[in-house]
Amino acid sequence: MTVAIRAIDLVKSYTPGQRALDGVGLEVISGEVLVVMGPSGSGKSTLIRTFNGLETLDSGQLDVLGMRLDASHDEREVRAIRQRVGMVFQQFNLFPHLSILDNITLAPIKVKKMSPSLAEQRAVDLLEQMGIAEQARKYPAQLSGGQQQRVAIARALALDPEVMLFDEPTSALDPERVKEVLDAMRQLAAGGMTMVVVTHELGFAREVADRVMFMDQGKVVETSDPETFFSNAKEERSRRFLRQMM
Amino acid sequence: MHRRLWIQIAAAALLLGLAAVLINNLAVNLIRTGLGLSFGWLARPAGFALAETALPYSPSDSYAWALTIGWLNSLKVILSGLVLATLLGVAAGAARSSGNRLLRRLAAAYVALIRQVPLLLQLMFWYFVGFLGLPETPVGGLIGLSNQGIRLLGLDLSVEFCAVLTGLAVFTGASIAEIVRGGINSVPRGQWEAFRSLGLGEGLGMRRIVLPQALPAILPALTSQYLNLAKNSTLAIAVGFADLYAVSDTTITQTGRAIEGFLLLLLSFLLLNLLISSGMAVLNGLVLGRLKGSR
Amino acid sequence: MNRVIDRLLTLLMLALLGWVGFSGVHWLLFAADWTVVTANLPLYAVGGYPPDQRWRPLVWIALLILMTAITLMGPRRGWLRRGLPALWSLMVPLGVVLLAGGLGLQPVPTREWGGFSLTLLLTVCSALLSLPAGVLLALGRRSELPVLRVASTAYIEVMRAVPLIAVLFFGQLLIPLFLPPGLELNRVLRAVIAFALFAAAYIAEDVRGGLQAIPPTQTEAAAVLGLSPFQSLRLVVLPQALRIALPALTNQAVGLLQNTSLMAILGLVELLGISRSLLANPAFIGRYLEVYVWLAAVYWLACTAMALLARHLEIQLDPLRSS
Repeated sequence: MTVAIRAIDLVKSYTPGQRALDGVGLEVISGEVLVVMGPSGSGKSTLIRTFNGLETLDSGQLDVLGMRLDASHDEREVRAIRQRVGMVFQQFNLFPHLSILDNITLAPIKVKKMSPSLAEQRAVDLLEQMGIAEQARKYPAQLSGGQQQRVAIARALALDPEVMLFDEPTSALDPERVKEVLDAMRQLAAGGMTMVVVTHELGFAREVADRVMFMDQGKVVETSDPETFFSNAKEERSRRFLRQMM
Repeated sequence: MHRRLWIQIAAAALLLGLAAVLINNLAVNLIRTGLGLSFGWLARPAGFALAETALPYSPSDSYAWALTIGWLNSLKVILSGLVLATLLGVAAGAARSSGNRLLRRLAAAYVALIRQVPLLLQLMFWYFVGFLGLPETPVGGLIGLSNQGIRLLGLDLSVEFCAVLTGLAVFTGASIAEIVRGGINSVPRGQWEAFRSLGLGEGLGMRRIVLPQALPAILPALTSQYLNLAKNSTLAIAVGFADLYAVSDTTITQTGRAIEGFLLLLLSFLLLNLLISSGMAVLNGLVLGRLKGSR
Repeated sequence: MNRVIDRLLTLLMLALLGWVGFSGVHWLLFAADWTVVTANLPLYAVGGYPPDQRWRPLVWIALLILMTAITLMGPRRGWLRRGLPALWSLMVPLGVVLLAGGLGLQPVPTREWGGFSLTLLLTVCSALLSLPAGVLLALGRRSELPVLRVASTAYIEVMRAVPLIAVLFFGQLLIPLFLPPGLELNRVLRAVIAFALFAAAYIAEDVRGGLQAIPPTQTEAAAVLGLSPFQSLRLVVLPQALRIALPALTNQAVGLLQNTSLMAILGLVELLGISRSLLANPAFIGRYLEVYVWLAAVYWLACTAMALLARHLEIQLDPLRSS
């Protein structure tokens, strides 16, 4: 049981007096799917964005895949982590001026120095896995939201990450498109990927998560397995949140 | 963290090094050619005549005074140019939205033609073909037109001044027309429908409803056009109008004081730039304030 | 608008147009003396270039016209279409070599260059120099390093406040003062440098606008893929910024073409300059209108061609259209 991510007492403030992360501690085991839930402003997005250095820490200790991230933000360390940790954003953030194929092969070629033909082969395989192989030569603007998000997942997977971070991946999608992305994520989980997912999708959490973590006002309120969390949450705040969501 | 500091130091060193090399060359060359840096020569008599003077001037006056006269001439042509160009530009821009198809086409042709021909060529056209092409003896009553000058409402305007003014106004007016057109287009269709269904005429609607709402979109781009006009006024040298640049040119040619002359010109235009920009900023504030208040 | 007034206005305009049009055409065909144009066509094209070597700049101009025609008509053959950008970039060094000489061609000093060929050369050389300079300035202005930011901002603001003629004039006078003694630059080169220095500041602002239009999420997305800041700039941010800034940049290029006419005041005999000296010739005195109409037509055609090429480029670079 290796620990992929270990966080101890993370603290971050955007404005003095207001803590986005207020002493957060957790462990993510390799191969597990951790779903993070909470009301807006609870710090869940900030938390996973610290895992790949998009957010800096004021204090605390964070080890990602054995590499240390703390308040002294070393650029090269951070970049090394990013080659092993993939991220999918709420707004897809595909590169509009590049084709789908180029979007996916850009980083492998430029960062991992992969040969273009190999990178392209891998990209096509990933697109097949995501069910959108025929879109390879198109441009982001020609794809639907659900398709774009699946491209974003493929783009992150192209670097062969050991951990995948998802920041509300379906919140910007039309309801009809949500399923195709969740299915892709389900597939990924079944394959054994370590995933930390910030989402409001209760169904996904219930069926796919190994553990559910509930955050509120920068603190971790409770962490339990989905069974317990959804039927018999330990904390009153968690129960209140669930009632609002259902 | 340390890498950042080193990059900063390296960049600063590179820039300073480049500056040092250039300044060194400059110093060497200045010594070699025997020119120092001084401004005392400004008090010496200019020794050249100026065709157009707002205030009394004679060749025995100092260079400083000659430059001042040039400054005043520039101001004269710039300010009148701004007014004329704005009137022309607003009219042409509004004409692009007119109901009259011929008017729309004419305005579009004006813009398309004027913007694709260099300003200098247009200035020379107005001077040599336009105003110098006028008959010897004045025609017209209120406006006395001749190739010696224009007499307008008691003012005597030189041919050079008129040519520069016309050229600047027509050229800048075309750019202003495009800006006004863009601003008008930014006003929602619903506003047009509203005043038309109230029975208001096109002209009234344009003046009272549309243009005021188009102003916030127009003003920033208008400011850069005004600044362009001020800069373009320096082309006046080509037709013999004694503006600031023309006087500076003659001064530098006579005294050899290129660097000082450049600095003075630079300062003058920075000042002019500042004046126009701040004036427009105040206007911008007023317009936005009135719009907010009326809502 | 009142129907009657509208009708009257239209009638009035038609009458005016008719009168102007009729007298215009009449003048063009019958009253004008076009010898000042027809007798001097080589001068307008290439200035005082040695007559036996005239074919060199003329070939260059002809090639440019050919390239423009081919580009605008949209070539069918795949190889031609793919080779176009490379061919276009060849045009600049080709022009310099053809005009200057060397490489087996007889060297021709720059003071003998002139006419439309000089206009075009000034335009393309200055444009080529000013683009990278402008991009660097724009990046410098947005830099986090205070030294770079202050220096870039100061340069941009000062250059944009000063009239072009002053920059050109002082370029002629002052550039030599900043060079080591012994190094001499001819007037054309000084003009190109001055134009480039001036245009770079305006280009910097246009590129900066393009950079500002790109959401920070793009930089983030590039960063999480492990791209270095330099890579992210080169591969993700700049390509998009330049596409956004393209209309403004091509406007600058057209402006540059028009602004080469200012060198006429400073003694270079590009298109406008050569016309001025022609008008001073006793044989052609007073023929202002013919010359200016002719020049206006040439500039208008050249600027319109540039504008069309620019639209073509915009369409080509829009990923959706060209795929």
